[in-house]
Amino acid sequence: MIILLIGAGTYLLRAGSLVLGSRIKWSHQSKEWLSYVSPAVLGALLGPLLLLNEGQWVPMKDNMILVAAIPTIAVAWLTRRLLLTVLAGILFFALANYFM
Amino acid sequence: MSRQDKIALALRDALPIVLAYFPLSITFGVLAAASGMPWNMSIFSSIWIYSGGAQFMVISMLETATAPATIVVTILLVNMRHVLYGATMGPHLAHWREPLKWLAALGLTDESFVVTSNRAAAGERLTPSYYLTFALAAYGSWIAGTIVGAGIGGIVTSETASVLSFALPALFLALLFGGERSFPHLLSACTGAALATLAGLMHLGGVGLIIGGLAGATVGQMLGRRSKRIRG
Repeated sequence: MIILLIGAGTYLLRAGSLVLGSRIKWSHQSKEWLSYVSPAVLGALLGPLLLLNEGQWVPMKDNMILVAAIPTIAVAWLTRRLLLTVLAGILFFALANYFM
Repeated sequence: MSRQDKIALALRDALPIVLAYFPLSITFGVLAAASGMPWNMSIFSSIWIYSGGAQFMVISMLETATAPATIVVTILLVNMRHVLYGATMGPHLAHWREPLKWLAALGLTDESFVVTSNRAAAGERLTPSYYLTFALAAYGSWIAGTIVGAGIGGIVTSETASVLSFALPALFLALLFGGERSFPHLLSACTGAALATLAGLMHLGGVGLIIGGLAGATVGQMLGRRSKRIRG
């Protein structure tokens, strides 16, 4: 049920905006705002993922996810490659698990 | 350019995405199996949702027993970014027949948007044979990987699955720091992160994501305008 709704909603967002976008011209301001939605939501996803565990603050020295995230950011920044970043991230996380 | 050339170009452009999607969707299939999702459901979600971030989030939110309504609202909010993609790509498809536009929307993912919009920005005229070949290659790779992942999911240890679970934050980090990263963009990400973390500490659940996303985007836009005015 959840999957059905998400799939339908995602498709409607994609198709609706694509079909509309091929007809009307979006105002510069709304386009500009939309361009900041992605980083804002990604940030909002990452914050709790990196810093919290079930609603509790994870102390920095025990936070393996955060430790692995730092070199992962460096790889993303330097290479801008999706697959490479994900693979490097998993490797960093495995190393953090092994050594901490 | 002939139709053959268009299709060859589409396949060449799609190759890096096909290569990236395959292991990523295997990871999805494995994690879905580890979290107890039936194999047919994980394959169905790849066919029906076809949005990596959303599918990974469904697994992690089902694991933490988030309310179904919160899951749907949160993920659709995250996928609001596709409105931007659609609005940007739409004008390039203005000369297409209507049913083909609806078909093209199926393949509009983060990665294919980046590649095809770059093609269009370079002055290339996007034809249905180019775009649909491209989209189909990426879609096929995503589904094939999910089937493999769901198939081997049962034999992967929980330790391996927990290491693989870092694929999700890594994917988000890759999308965030591999994309547009001007100061306003990074500040909107920080605003979103701070508000969502605060909401998480207050046990507000998915609301933090919505507030963080809306406030972060607004902060980014305000700063973007100001820095343009100073420079301008």
